[in-house]
Amino acid sequence: MQYPAPISKLIDGFMKLPGIGPKTATRLAFYVLNMKEDDVLDFAKALVNAKRDLTHCSSCFYITDQDPCIICNDNHRDRSVICVVEDSKDVMAMEKMQEYSGLYHVLHGAISPMDGVGPEDIRIPELIQRLQDDTVQEVILASNPSIEGEATAMYLSRMIKPTGIKVTRLAHGLPVGGDLEYADEVTLSRAVEGRREL
Amino acid sequence: MLEKTEGIVIRTVSYGESHVILTVFTKERGKLPLMARGAKKTNSPFAAVSQLFSYGLFQFHYRKSMSTLSQGEVLEAFRHVHEDIEAAAYAAYVCELLDGVTTEREASPSLFMLLLTILRFIEKGEDAEVLLRMFELKMTYVAGIKPELDRCASCGRTEGDFSFSVQEAGFLCEQCSRLDEHRFSLTAKQVQLLRQLYYMDPQRLGRVHLKPETKHWLRQLLEAYYDTYSGLYLKSKRFLEQWQQWKP
Repeated sequence: MQYPAPISKLIDGFMKLPGIGPKTATRLAFYVLNMKEDDVLDFAKALVNAKRDLTHCSSCFYITDQDPCIICNDNHRDRSVICVVEDSKDVMAMEKMQEYSGLYHVLHGAISPMDGVGPEDIRIPELIQRLQDDTVQEVILASNPSIEGEATAMYLSRMIKPTGIKVTRLAHGLPVGGDLEYADEVTLSRAVEGRREL
Repeated sequence: MLEKTEGIVIRTVSYGESHVILTVFTKERGKLPLMARGAKKTNSPFAAVSQLFSYGLFQFHYRKSMSTLSQGEVLEAFRHVHEDIEAAAYAAYVCELLDGVTTEREASPSLFMLLLTILRFIEKGEDAEVLLRMFELKMTYVAGIKPELDRCASCGRTEGDFSFSVQEAGFLCEQCSRLDEHRFSLTAKQVQLLRQLYYMDPQRLGRVHLKPETKHWLRQLLEAYYDTYSGLYLKSKRFLEQWQQWKP
């Protein structure tokens, strides 16, 4: 016995999302059936619009509905600093901090020997092109502290340093509210290395 | 059942929002999938031990399908490997090849020691090319495709000059050499080198130094052999091949 075609199709649609298996997809599909028609239409429109209207900024490659994006268009931002991140979600994380006023460059990935991802498979050539402009004085490498993130940061620093632009890396260390006793030795040794004078 | 064993993380796959599925090559249980819940969160106690190539002490709830990590302690983090992209690529190749030729839950303490020794040598900055070739040769046995290196693969002769035939899976003596026109011609020293690399104690790995041209033919020979018999497509190998063009 199978579900009617419309609901089977809806279940298949939900199953295409990450982390959603058949059980969860069925639950979500039945939840949609019980929603008001207007809400379902809004939801469907939001999905289609997100796909149709969003594009990547031609300068920083952040997701945007206008090109250049709202950050690149903002004249109050410091154009001499570029923060390089792996993903568009990382831009949001940095913006939440409200202490950074420079520009961004989204790589859309990281160099990964394990996955065969090289520098030309992500937005590194575009970053190097962007740095030809004399206004940039500092590049902050904010890739994740994972092996892929470190590899990417190391590669970029080797590429950029000869041009005379200052290259910095986000500090590694103890998380706020963390307990020193429970910190692992890798984090601790990096925290000691990156200590600063008070 | 709660168990504790030493292991090396040879593969990581993100799962859900913040979980990571680790493939750990353990000393006592062989290759084991381990679920590290919340390992991607910045304050997770599993964050460091869940990094690729981490050599650590893993405590987990053993289950037949997927074991769950309950505690982890880093014994060696291989920082140089993490910070040097070329070293990371070599280490990734070693781990991917090991992952490709081994099956889950087959304990092999000697293989574990070989992996650990190779990672330590890469960490120390030893010639990784030589280490990789030796690892590839030793892995032919694990993969069940060991070439005949003690005698002629066709007639069994043990004396005289030899060439290497991919087609015949091993050495060929002068009389049998006509069996494969694409064979690799070998000098007596090259024959000795292949045997030496295959049988050598992993602890002595770092003491072998080879000329660039020797490394080149060794790479060609093993590449042809693996392409013919292993059926493996390794992403890290493709990365290493292209790395020379990308190198800053």
